[in-house]
Amino acid sequence: MVNKMAWRNLWRRKRRTLITSFTVAFGTFLSISLTAMGDYAYTNIINRSTTMGFGHITIEPMGYNDTPGLDKKITDVESIRNFVLQIPEVKSALVRIVGQAMFASAIKNIGGTFIAIDPAKENSERNIFISSIIEGFLFEETDGRGVVIGTKMAKKLNLRIGKKLIYTVTDINGEIVSEITRVTGIFKTGVDEVDGSMVLLPIDRIRATLGYKKDEATIVPIYTNDQRKTGKVRNVINRMIENPEVEVLTWNETQPETAGFITIDRGMNYLIQILLGLLIAAGILNTMLMNVLERTREFGIMMAVGMAPARLVRLILTESIWIGLVGLIFGVMITIPCYVYMSNIGIDFSGFYEEGSDVGGVLFDLVIKFRLYWESAVAILCGVFVLTIAAGLYPAVRSGRMPPVESLKNL
Amino acid sequence: MRNIFFWLMIIIVMAVFSLNPSIAKPAESSSDRVLRILKELDDLYRSSSAHGFMSMQVKTAHYTRSMRLESWASGKDKSLIRIIAPIKERGTSTLMYGKNIYTYLPKTDRTIRLTSGMMGGSWMGSHFTNDDLIKESRMSEDYDATITFEGIRNRQSVIEFTLIPKPLASVVWGKIVLTIEAKNIIPVSYIFYDEDMEMIRTMTFSDVKDLGGRVIPAILRVTPVDKPGEYTEVVYEKMEFKIPIKDSFFSIARLKKKK
Amino acid sequence: MNLLQFSIRNVCRHKQRSLITIGAMAFAAFIIMFFDAFLEGFIQTMVQNSVGMNLGTIQIHAEGYRDDPDLYKRIKNPDKLIEKLYANGFSATQRIYGFGLAASGSKSSGAWLRGIDLKNEPLVTQINKHISSGSWLDGKDLMGVVIGKKLSKILDVGVGDEVIILSQATDGSMANDLYRVRGILKSVGNGVDRGAFFMTDRAFRELMVLPEGAHEIAIVGKYHEEDLQKITDEVANLASGLEILNWRQLQPFIAKMIDTSEAGTFIMMFIIYTAIGMVILNAMLMNVFERIHELGVMKAIGFSPWRVAGMLFFEAMIQAAAACLLTLIFGLPVVYYFQTHGIDLSSLVSSTTMVGIAMDPIWHCRITFKSIATPTIFLFLLAALAVIYPAAKAALIRPVEAIYYK
Repeated sequence: MVNKMAWRNLWRRKRRTLITSFTVAFGTFLSISLTAMGDYAYTNIINRSTTMGFGHITIEPMGYNDTPGLDKKITDVESIRNFVLQIPEVKSALVRIVGQAMFASAIKNIGGTFIAIDPAKENSERNIFISSIIEGFLFEETDGRGVVIGTKMAKKLNLRIGKKLIYTVTDINGEIVSEITRVTGIFKTGVDEVDGSMVLLPIDRIRATLGYKKDEATIVPIYTNDQRKTGKVRNVINRMIENPEVEVLTWNETQPETAGFITIDRGMNYLIQILLGLLIAAGILNTMLMNVLERTREFGIMMAVGMAPARLVRLILTESIWIGLVGLIFGVMITIPCYVYMSNIGIDFSGFYEEGSDVGGVLFDLVIKFRLYWESAVAILCGVFVLTIAAGLYPAVRSGRMPPVESLKNL
Repeated sequence: MRNIFFWLMIIIVMAVFSLNPSIAKPAESSSDRVLRILKELDDLYRSSSAHGFMSMQVKTAHYTRSMRLESWASGKDKSLIRIIAPIKERGTSTLMYGKNIYTYLPKTDRTIRLTSGMMGGSWMGSHFTNDDLIKESRMSEDYDATITFEGIRNRQSVIEFTLIPKPLASVVWGKIVLTIEAKNIIPVSYIFYDEDMEMIRTMTFSDVKDLGGRVIPAILRVTPVDKPGEYTEVVYEKMEFKIPIKDSFFSIARLKKKK
Repeated sequence: MNLLQFSIRNVCRHKQRSLITIGAMAFAAFIIMFFDAFLEGFIQTMVQNSVGMNLGTIQIHAEGYRDDPDLYKRIKNPDKLIEKLYANGFSATQRIYGFGLAASGSKSSGAWLRGIDLKNEPLVTQINKHISSGSWLDGKDLMGVVIGKKLSKILDVGVGDEVIILSQATDGSMANDLYRVRGILKSVGNGVDRGAFFMTDRAFRELMVLPEGAHEIAIVGKYHEEDLQKITDEVANLASGLEILNWRQLQPFIAKMIDTSEAGTFIMMFIIYTAIGMVILNAMLMNVFERIHELGVMKAIGFSPWRVAGMLFFEAMIQAAAACLLTLIFGLPVVYYFQTHGIDLSSLVSSTTMVGIAMDPIWHCRITFKSIATPTIFLFLLAALAVIYPAAKAALIRPVEAIYYK
């Protein structure tokens, strides 16, 4: 009964209802947009950072994160890898050796870091160096003598495709060994330090050079199909692998800088959502108060004819809930077309940055798109709902408190 | 490139050859002859030992340095070089044992083992790199050699070898041109080229004289081609060969002892 | 009685209604002010952390040093240049750099040797306050050094342990000496963490035989964006023949990050402002439409449409003014509180490093002229805009319709 009354009351003051519900609708729209933008951006950033070498989750030798070195390795990598691949959320798992080496050509030598990979198993999606190749190709053999270097290193060492590069490392016996490689490809990420010191090598060749066994490697980077599941998958892996010499880290731990950036941005986002929420609540409060004020006479009469104050309170509350709901539905309606557009096409901001979007261009996606996750959507809708109720509370209670005689006195 | 001592050994062996007339003109094909010469140099270096004094002068765009050094070598993979002068650096030593290099620093009384990252660094500020000192580049194994010239040059009878690195050799050079004096088989020069066949550095030998009973070039000079005016010159002052040196001599503990 | 007085009286007469409207608007204005100050503080903090820790606003190098760092590419007479800069209002410090091997026990690692001018460095950066254990350099302790966090782990040393440095001095000799770890830094950025080896400039000069010259002069200036190019040019004039770069050019990646954040915040601002606009609109509309009867009566007794519209307009402005006053009186102190004490976000955000910038979990607001002007202008503007529709409606409505308006 109260519901129907509330509903009808609503539509008796069409304009007011419409204005307020529009405020709610717009607020919802903004909230969803903001969240969707954020979610997309974070997922993007996270996924891109995983291509730098460590994946979403990394299985590493214990202590490697703090003090990396070629003396630390994991054994039995293939079986670990197969193990991990069985987890449904894992999209792929790779095996890599990472270490420092000295790289020399006839004119100079410089220090750098190599990532040794199996070319057959890797691709641009999981490896930023491969996706940034601007000249030449990735080497094909896993035990061959190809090498892929960055533009800056090529310049410093005066190298081109086909030219030889000698690298020197310390093997597991502490011996200093050198190997010859030939440049098959050159990449450019736009970040000078990376282009000047990172190198891709074939993993089986490095194994032979270092004296590693066939099933030894430095890290097993794992890629999940959804970055939000990272924590969960890590826990699963931890339970599966009971090896004290190995630790399982998430990208939060291996890429603390990315994690930091996202946390900060997230923090900002939360703040804004809170502000938005407050604003929506203010809008509703405003309306409802106005609403209640205007109808003191009406309420007076209702109470005079016997309506219990409690019921009145419920009536007003219901009215605000209805406005909230209408607003919500309205909001969803206006958001959907926008969402569809943004999630598929998005707005390209790369025009904003004139100066070489080379700089970190590979690491930053300049197209803003939407991607809303279930949880976020539900959270927003519930949030708005709760706000509406909260906002309606004061006016409702207030109206219930007024003694009928007073109300009748007011015009 | 190579240990300075390697050069001495080539010279010694060449000298030995020249003293022995019976080693004259066996019938062999040219490629065999080349291989033989290079291989024998490598092999003979292994069995000799030496002790000497030399001075080294380095001139770069930023400094000119003079040092006096004392050195010992045994076989191809053990050697010890110690700075005698200037006083400031007296006692600084470099020990090469197998593929490892250790440096002893008297000022701090510490020994540091050089890591792979330091191999490219210059040795004692000269144009030799640490890598040069221990590079176990066996000429006959890492390079394919052919004789590209035999005749008179600068009023000297020389043989010129062109060495092209084998496909799997871990050497940075594109080619090396080695010129030796034909009669006494004494090296005259080594010229190093990169893969684009640009000259990168040269090593020249001069002032052939009697040292410790052998006839060898007393002056060795390394010049980087892209930095005109710079060079590192080693002058051998006193040498003695085939002296007994115990293997235990080449140890880290030895580095610290004053003598 | 003129229209203004009439409007004022109207507003006062409908106390409750007016208060609600003013309240809504004041709240909206407060949010704008807070948010603006917050953003300003955030960007400032980011810039300050990246610039103030290590970089400085502007750096001067000898030509070609940055492309190919070399012990020999030095700035001549750095002391004179620094004096000149001081005379022009800039604080500057000189730094000398070298690379070497740091070793302790059986562990060794490449090290980035940094000779610090102890007197001037604190004027330009705050790195001396960024110690996690031990203490900063001291001119009286020549052999005391401060190293990066990760370097201390790689060498497995703590405060009080000894480290040997091996490098090549300017005269070609082997530079080597023993040092004692005086302090270990907190996380500053990857490069510094992994290899930085801070020593007094005197110690560096002795080790590397570098009596004169400096590799880098770091200058601090105002952080505000607009001035950056101006001060860059000013410094370029003072230090001719040298390479002058500001922090944006030195670290385009960080600049990009900050710009991206700014773009992101721009969008956020847009969103917030729109939301606020809606609230104000809501309030204004409510305000007018509730009184449509009254307005109809007014028209019936002879108010011209223009007068009605004018009155409503004035009322809107008065309410906006009142709202602004409220915001300033009550809101400003709140924002100011957050400026001095900051918002402690340590539950959400732990101390993190963001692309070489160490971030504090306490974010401060920063009140600028903009954070006060923006909400004020916005409020007035929006109130004016919002009242157009209802004012037009009220002005044009026929009295009879108004009285029966639903």
